[in-house]
Amino acid sequence: MSALIVAEGLRKEYGSVVALAGLDLTVSDGITGLLGENGAGKSTAIRIILGLIPPTAGAVRVLPNEAASASGVRGFLGYMPEHDCLPSQVSAVEFLTHMAQVSGLPPASARTRAADTLRHVGLFEERYRPIGGYSTGMKQRVKLAQALVHDPRLVLLDEPTAGLDPAGREEMLALVRKTHREFGISIVLSSHLMGDVERTCDRIALLRQGRLVQEGAVSEFTLETERLLVEVEEREDELAEGLRAAGLSVVPAERGGLVIEGRDGRVQDLIVQALVETGAPLRRMAPRRRALSELFAREGEQLGGDT
Amino acid sequence: MSGADEEVTPARGTVFDIGYQRYDGIREGRGRGRRAIFADGVRIALGIGRGGRAKILPWAFITVLVGFGFVLALAAGSALSLLGPEAVEQLPTHADYYSMTAVIFVLFAGVVAPELLCPDRRDRVLDLYFVRPISGIDYIVARWSAFLVVALAVAWVPQLVFMIGLVMGNPEPFAYLAQQWTDLPRILVAGAALAVFITTLALMVASFTSRRAYAAVFLVGLIVISTPFTIGLAEEAEGVAGQWIAMFNLTAIPVQVNDIVFGAVSDMSAVGDANLLPVALRLGWYALWVAVPAAILLNRYRRGVS
Repeated sequence: MSALIVAEGLRKEYGSVVALAGLDLTVSDGITGLLGENGAGKSTAIRIILGLIPPTAGAVRVLPNEAASASGVRGFLGYMPEHDCLPSQVSAVEFLTHMAQVSGLPPASARTRAADTLRHVGLFEERYRPIGGYSTGMKQRVKLAQALVHDPRLVLLDEPTAGLDPAGREEMLALVRKTHREFGISIVLSSHLMGDVERTCDRIALLRQGRLVQEGAVSEFTLETERLLVEVEEREDELAEGLRAAGLSVVPAERGGLVIEGRDGRVQDLIVQALVETGAPLRRMAPRRRALSELFAREGEQLGGDT
Repeated sequence: MSGADEEVTPARGTVFDIGYQRYDGIREGRGRGRRAIFADGVRIALGIGRGGRAKILPWAFITVLVGFGFVLALAAGSALSLLGPEAVEQLPTHADYYSMTAVIFVLFAGVVAPELLCPDRRDRVLDLYFVRPISGIDYIVARWSAFLVVALAVAWVPQLVFMIGLVMGNPEPFAYLAQQWTDLPRILVAGAALAVFITTLALMVASFTSRRAYAAVFLVGLIVISTPFTIGLAEEAEGVAGQWIAMFNLTAIPVQVNDIVFGAVSDMSAVGDANLLPVALRLGWYALWVAVPAAILLNRYRRGVS
C-alpha cells in the first residue's frame, strides 16, 4: 500500500512558540485520525501538508503518485477547515459549482457534481437557499461537500464535528465513514475528541506538543490496554477493598463494575479468591478494552513526566 | 371496465442511485480555476446572482456614468439641429468626458471593487481557493482582470453612446465619421488608462482589509481630501512646486493621460500648470501610480493570504 502523505521532521515556529517540533508522519489509504489536545499541532500539520503555510524545517510529500506538480496534486486534495469558511450570500449549489470549477472541472460537470455532492451530504432539498441562513450542522455539511465536490483522492478534515450537537456529530461521522467505505476516498481526520476518532478511524496518530507520540491501528491501541471488568450484584465496595488488599490495581468503571489492571492467570485467581472471601455474587467478568481517552491521558502523563 | 377479469401486470422499473459518484472526466487544471474566479468576479462586481442590495451600488454608478454619455449625446444632437454646428463646438467633447467624470469613476471603483476581495477575506474562503490548483497570484490576477473588464465597459460605453449621438445628429454622418474616426482609438486608450488606474488602486486598498466599508471609506476619503487640498495648494504655490503638488491629485493622474491622448488641456490637468510638465514625465508618473499599487497587490497575494 503506497503512502499518501510522508512528512519528515516537520517543524513550525511562530516566534518563540513551537507549533510542530519535528513531526514524522506517514499516512496510507483509509481513515487516519490525528488525535491530540488543543494546541498539539494538528491544524498546523494539516495546513503545512496542504501547502497553506510553509514549514520552518522538514519536508512533506503528498500523493506522490497522482501528479508531478504541486498544483496538479492539489486537484486531488480536499480540505474542510475547522473555522468558518463559507460565503453567506450565495446558495450552496452555486458555491459548490464554483469550487468544482476552481478545482479544474468543466462547468457542466461542476454543476452535476455540485448537486450530487449535496445529495450525498443530505442538503439536496436546501441547495438553492443562501448559505447564510443555514444552521451550524448544515454549514458543516456544506464544508464537507466542498471538500468532496471535485472527487479528491485524499481529504483532510480539521475538527469536522466542531460545534455540532451529539446527533449532528454522529451524522457527520457516519458521512465520513460512508465517504471512505463506499467511494474509497482516503481521509485524514483531526480531532481532540477521542470517541470520534475511535469510532471512525482505521488508524490513529497521537500528537502531543508538536510531536508524534504513537501511531498504529485503532485495534492495536485498544488491545495493548486490555484490563478485566468485574461486575457483581452487590457488595462491590467490599470486593474492591479485598482486591486492593490482594495487591491489585482497582478503579470503578464509568458505567458500573470494577476495572482491574492485568488479565493473566494470577490476577484471575486473586479475583476469584476475593469473590469467595467477600461473598459478592458475580454477574460478569470479561476482558475490557480501555477507551482511547484513558490511553490518551496515560500517554500525556508519561510524556509530561519525561519532559 | 372489466375490473378483476384483466390481468394485472406488475410495474417494472429500476431504482438508480443518483447520489455521489466518482468522477473520471476531464480536469482542466489551473486555467479553468482562473476562468472561474474571473467569471465570479464579474458577477460580484455587477451584483449578478446576489440579492437586490448587492445590485444597487454598482448599477447606480453605471446608470449615472452611462446616463452622462446619453445626456451629452442628446445635447449635441439637439444643439446641432436647433442652433447649428457653431453651438456644438461650445459643448463638451470626448476629450472632456473623463475629466468631468473621473471623480465618479474613482468613487465607483472605491465602493464596488472591494466587494471582489473583502468578503473572501472576511468569510475566510481564501483557504479553500489556495488548497486547489490555483495560486495566490492566479487568484488576484483573475479578480483584477474581472474588475478591469467591468471598469473598461463602464468607461467605454458612455463615450461610445456619446459618439453615436454625435454621428447620428450630424447631417452628414459619414463625412463626420471620416473626419473624427481617430476619436475612437483615443477613447479606447484613455478609457483603458482610467480603468487600469482605478482598478489597481482600489484593489490594492481593498487587499489590506476584510471590511469593504473600510476600503471604500479610505479610498473615497483620500479622493475627497486630496482633490481640493492639492488643487488649493497647487494654485497657491508657483512654478515647479505647484506643478508637482497638482500631480498628487489622484483623480487627475489618469486625466493627464487622457489629455495627452486627445492633445487637449482640461481644467483638472491645468491646475498648477501641471500640463506643462514633459509628456514623458506625466506618462511615467501615471505608470508609477499603477506599477507600485500593482506590485503591492501581487505581493499581498504572492503566498496566499488568509
